[in-house]
Amino acid sequence: MTQSTRAFPRRWFDATMDWFDERIALRQLIAASLHVVIPRRAHTYYLGGITLFLFASQAVTGILLSLYYQPTPESAYNSILYIMNQVNFGWLMRSVHAWGANLMIIFCVLHLLRVAVQGAYKKPREITWMVGMGLLFITLGFGFTGYLLPWDQRAFWATTVGTEIASAVPLVGEAIRDFLRAGADVSALTLSRFLGVHMLILPASLVGLLLVHLLIIHQQGLADPHATEEQ
Amino acid sequence: MSDKSKPKNLLPFWPHYVLSELIAWYVILGILVTLAAFLPAGLEDRANPLLTPEHVKPEWYFLSVYQFLKVAAVFSFLGADAPRLLGIVIPGIAMAALFFLPFLDRGPKRPARQRPRMLIILVSVLVILIGLTLWGQYS
Ligand code: HEM
Repeated sequence: MTQSTRAFPRRWFDATMDWFDERIALRQLIAASLHVVIPRRAHTYYLGGITLFLFASQAVTGILLSLYYQPTPESAYNSILYIMNQVNFGWLMRSVHAWGANLMIIFCVLHLLRVAVQGAYKKPREITWMVGMGLLFITLGFGFTGYLLPWDQRAFWATTVGTEIASAVPLVGEAIRDFLRAGADVSALTLSRFLGVHMLILPASLVGLLLVHLLIIHQQGLADPHATEEQ
Repeated sequence: MSDKSKPKNLLPFWPHYVLSELIAWYVILGILVTLAAFLPAGLEDRANPLLTPEHVKPEWYFLSVYQFLKVAAVFSFLGADAPRLLGIVIPGIAMAALFFLPFLDRGPKRPARQRPRMLIILVSVLVILIGLTLWGQYS
């Protein structure tokens, strides 16, 4: 390449890129991911991206919290007190995580509303919409399971009435409730179950569905709200 | 990608869209930290399964369903089981309808102004949900 004519940082950068290019066609990969166009009138108000950012923030603060949190009824409450009062910036991590959870739900719903108002769910974007609904359910599941973890009065009783809602389902309602609680009442088993779902199952599911969501969006391009159905 | 036929109305994703998106993220981060600093997450007394507090409520995003389940008592004229059954079946159907929306609304028109019926349905559902949530919160 033109190595010798370029200044130091640029030359090193180019050389690094060349090294990767030779092996994995990196420039091509970046171009295919970034150098796309979107309709000027597809005002998305950045809502989907903001939801994505909030999820990233939840991942970072959640991982930090998991370093100090202890998931048993005996020690959960005290470990939260420890995070709030002893850990450096622990109060900030927990508070950002709690606010982020609420904001993520709000922005996820706002994103859904913009897609609904602009008719961006119409053919050929049905799959994107249904995958999005899956993402919404997972986001609500995060809130539901996370709320119990501090093991204070509000957490315990919100989970008690929340799981009680399920028992209204005809025929299988009580079985669903007992499955959610891992027993007849909210107990130590419920706490383990909620933590496993909150920290492992839901994050893995969300990341998986999100990749599908974004891949399809990239493949189709954003909908032009002023155009009628495209083929 | 028939959008390509109208090059005048296109905007490059990179760097235009990405830059605005990053600015939006920066603003959201600011809001997050401000909220966290001025209204830090609280903690009530340690959970006590033997002591039911006075106003037990689920999280705000489940309040509308919870309140609807209570309000469904008005269906009691349909039989003793009707309130509980309809209280959960109606939100269930609404949820399923939202999931399958692209197949229920197949009209080709996309501009919002050309779909007044859809807008009316959306706004009504939203008003009902917000109303139920506030009702649940202040009752
Ligand atoms: C964790 C939650 C979600 C994330 C992170 C997410 C992310 C995104 C992003 C980044 C975009 C690109 C355009 C934009 O920002 O508006 C998008 C588009 C889209 N999303 Fe989501 N989304 C989520 C949930 C949902 C939900 C709940 C729905 C609806 C049920 C949905 C349906 C769609 C559709 C149909 C598009 C394509 C819009 C178009 O072509 O103009 N998504 N999503």
